[in-house]
Amino acid sequence: MPSTRFPIPQGTLDMLILQILSLEPAHGYGIAQRLEQISKSVVQVNQGSLYPGLHRLEQKGWLKSEWKQSETGREAKFYSLTSSGRKQLKVEKESWARLTGAVQLVFDEGKS
Amino acid sequence: MKQLLNWLRRRNLEDDLDRELKYHFERRVNDLILAGFPEPEARRRANLELGGVTQVQEEVRDVWLTRWLRDFAYDLRFSARSFLRTPAFMTTAVLSLALGIGATTAIYSLVDQVVLHALPVHDPERLVLIDWKGDNALVNGFGSYNLMPYPVCRGLHLQDQFFDGVFCRALTTINLSTSGDAKPAAAEIVSGTYFSVLGVRPALGRLLTTDDDQTPGASPVVVLSYDFWKTQLAGAPDVVGRKVLINKHPMTVVGVAAPGFHGIDVGEVPSLWIPATMSAQAIPGFNGMLDHRTFWTQILGRLKPGVTLAQAQAGLQPWFKAMLEEDTRRAGFPRITAERRQRFLASTLELTPAPQGHSVLRRRLTQPLWVLLAATGVLLGLACLNVAGLFLARGSARAREISTRLALGAARGRIGRQLLADSILIALVGGLLGVVLAPLAMRTLIAFLPQDAAANALQSAVDTRLLLFALVVSVATGVLTGFAPALEAGRDSLISSLRERGGTAFGGLQLRKAIVTAQIAFTLILVIGAALFIRTLTALLAKGPGFDTSSLISFGIDPLRNGYTPSEASRLIRRIHDEIRASTSTQASTVSRGQLLAGGSWNNFMTIQTNQRVTTERVVHLNAVTPGFFATLGTRIVVGRDFGEYDTLPEDKGGQRVAIINEDFVKRYFGGRNPLGAHICIGTGPDAKPDIEVVGVVANISYRGVREEWEHAYFPMAAGGSVYEGGNYYVRIQGPSEAAVQSIRTILRNADPTLPTIYFRTLDEQVSRSLNTERLLATLSGGFGTLALLLSLVGLYGVMSFAVTQRTREIGIRLALGATRSGVVWLALRDALAMIAAGIAIALLCIWALGRLVESLLYGIRPTDPATIGIATLILCSATLGAALIPARRASAVHPTDALRFE
Repeated sequence: MPSTRFPIPQGTLDMLILQILSLEPAHGYGIAQRLEQISKSVVQVNQGSLYPGLHRLEQKGWLKSEWKQSETGREAKFYSLTSSGRKQLKVEKESWARLTGAVQLVFDEGKS
Repeated sequence: MKQLLNWLRRRNLEDDLDRELKYHFERRVNDLILAGFPEPEARRRANLELGGVTQVQEEVRDVWLTRWLRDFAYDLRFSARSFLRTPAFMTTAVLSLALGIGATTAIYSLVDQVVLHALPVHDPERLVLIDWKGDNALVNGFGSYNLMPYPVCRGLHLQDQFFDGVFCRALTTINLSTSGDAKPAAAEIVSGTYFSVLGVRPALGRLLTTDDDQTPGASPVVVLSYDFWKTQLAGAPDVVGRKVLINKHPMTVVGVAAPGFHGIDVGEVPSLWIPATMSAQAIPGFNGMLDHRTFWTQILGRLKPGVTLAQAQAGLQPWFKAMLEEDTRRAGFPRITAERRQRFLASTLELTPAPQGHSVLRRRLTQPLWVLLAATGVLLGLACLNVAGLFLARGSARAREISTRLALGAARGRIGRQLLADSILIALVGGLLGVVLAPLAMRTLIAFLPQDAAANALQSAVDTRLLLFALVVSVATGVLTGFAPALEAGRDSLISSLRERGGTAFGGLQLRKAIVTAQIAFTLILVIGAALFIRTLTALLAKGPGFDTSSLISFGIDPLRNGYTPSEASRLIRRIHDEIRASTSTQASTVSRGQLLAGGSWNNFMTIQTNQRVTTERVVHLNAVTPGFFATLGTRIVVGRDFGEYDTLPEDKGGQRVAIINEDFVKRYFGGRNPLGAHICIGTGPDAKPDIEVVGVVANISYRGVREEWEHAYFPMAAGGSVYEGGNYYVRIQGPSEAAVQSIRTILRNADPTLPTIYFRTLDEQVSRSLNTERLLATLSGGFGTLALLLSLVGLYGVMSFAVTQRTREIGIRLALGATRSGVVWLALRDALAMIAAGIAIALLCIWALGRLVESLLYGIRPTDPATIGIATLILCSATLGAALIPARRASAVHPTDALRFE
């Protein structure tokens, strides 16, 4: 099965985390599950690299965290987006759109 | 910065991360079990997916601290462990640096407090001092510097297109009685705008306002300083509304100023603030508040936001010009020559930034303090070099360890960083110790300072600014000391250092020689500096004030501040004078208007009439004295006569107007001609009438200070006249001083028990007080010089010993081949001589270049004085050669066979 999934491109994990958290606050495990679901098991995310990413984003001030009771009743660390995180997500989405658009243009050029 | 913070709370972060990962892991295991995996398999899979919990933890830690910082923390731990194994090395290094950092921190604390620290008021950066530039046609003036008339302040306050308000202030001493006896207390006389412009708030009640600053004599109110209220009145909550007596005038306390506010002069701590309208009460005999030609206050303003200093200065000139024109038409404007009038009208206003307020102490200490800070800087540099030398020595001892680590694959940068960690750790520990020692040094320093008030105003506590300073200095020190060894570690090739074993020179000998050369240069600079300041002090002490100070006692009273009228005061002063003269324990006594050796004087320009009329080029220092002044002090009358009792009679009773001048006066204005019979007078205007006859010439004595040589003129103090002329007593005592002091105190108490004595001290003490700054410089620079000499001796000895040990084998071979012992000594000494000579050359160049920076602090000696430099160089040479000779002799004592077996 792993062969059908390709590894997540460098640098896009941060953007995906921001995107997931823009919907609602979540804990690390929840984010991992959401990643699995959203990407329909196409993208392979190493769960281990999720945590350094979360801490990096928190250090940059884009995320904030707090310990809350989770759905299982145990305390879990929930992350949510800060306002500067929201801005960052917008910036990243735009630059992603520009990048993919540009790449598409190059491909289209080759076709014609 | 965030990373440093993370490092401090890393324990919390770790716990947090542990819990977080545990939660993830257990949820995953649970889910996998639910999906049908057996538990061991579920655990294995969960761990696999995560990529190992420890691995994740490490990666997250990297996020927190960055890799570099984390490794550096490990390096520090490693350094600490290795230092604990070599306590002697660590102690020497830490102590050297603690000494340097402690001294620098202590001096910096004074520089910060006296020179740099902005006033604790609202936005001090916009405060400016407003001063008169040009001829101000002064008629009357008293105070320190930058003096202005009060009405100018009122006028400037209205210039609201430039200022958010202008205030003025004058320092004075008043007799203050809160209950019982009056005591002298420092007070600031201020305009009503003072507190509002500074933005100071009351701690209690209200502060002074412009309402208190309308009609002279109509606002008997005062504001107390927080410290005075707390310490002298025990913080009484009902203090507002209380009556206090200021020079016997009742005034009401309306409030207490905010804690931490001590006025605008760092060297003077006022106990209270009095509105300018009450200046006649606060300064007895003064009625010049509204006079335009009486200069007695400093004026400061707060610039409007957006207005620059240059804009304000330029914009104010038209207003100022108009004021000058108006001044010349005003009643009381002195009759002056047309040329002087032109100069008066060409005067301008000068604005200077004054975020630190106005301070006489700062004016006096700024240069000495910078010089001392520079000296401690050099000392710290020396300590750094010393420790760097130690590290290099240790580095060569550790050469094997380092080579091995390199061979095992450590990067050179990594090794260099390890060495840097070593030195930074040592510097931080040294810095910590230095900060602990600094308050002690600061207290000693403050005790040296010229004024009593300075002792109250300056703190010896370590605040955050100082801690920050010490931290920056420590880290810089660490980097500096670590730089050389780190560089050295990266230099040698791996192969050669592994191969090298007790062969020829190794271990950065060249670098160590350079370090010692620099040390010698630094040391010589400090030793020469010390010699210059010590010779300045001894020259001043040898010169003395020009009269015999032994068994001379002085004290001062000011009856006007105790409600006396001028004529009552004159009578009291006479009576006390007569009683002291009648006492058996005194030889002679005299009273003078001006206090000697206290930094101030009564002075003015004078007109001299011989066969032509001349005015003095600069002010003459004036004094009024009772007959017997010169006899009491033991001052020689060069020609003419002393004052007699008949000189003190009023003119209508046959008294004559006479004066005595000093030799400097004769030298400057009479050029060898006989001054007796010439007529002089105070003032220089066309209406100045020279009608005072010069009847005598006296030897020069010091007035303002020991250093100063100036023209003096003395007048007889009128007996029982209506003019009050001050009460500084000089008494030559006879027999034991305790008895004399007792009898003088009794006389004073009997004359008026409520009259406070302003000061009471021997003249020796007064001389020593007036030389405080010089003593501070001489003592500290002497101490620094000695320390520096010790440090560089240790450094030189270390390098020489090392070099000799390295060359034992070579020396042995030379000896075996027939070299003489003295030849070997010379071989070893040659190196030392080269280092000493180079060091001296560098130092002399620096002295030549830097000398003029200290020139104004010296007395009777030039910074390039050949004798001083020669002696200092000789001291340095003999000491360093001594240190070099020990290892050199040891080299000559090497036994050839031992040396060859050494390998």
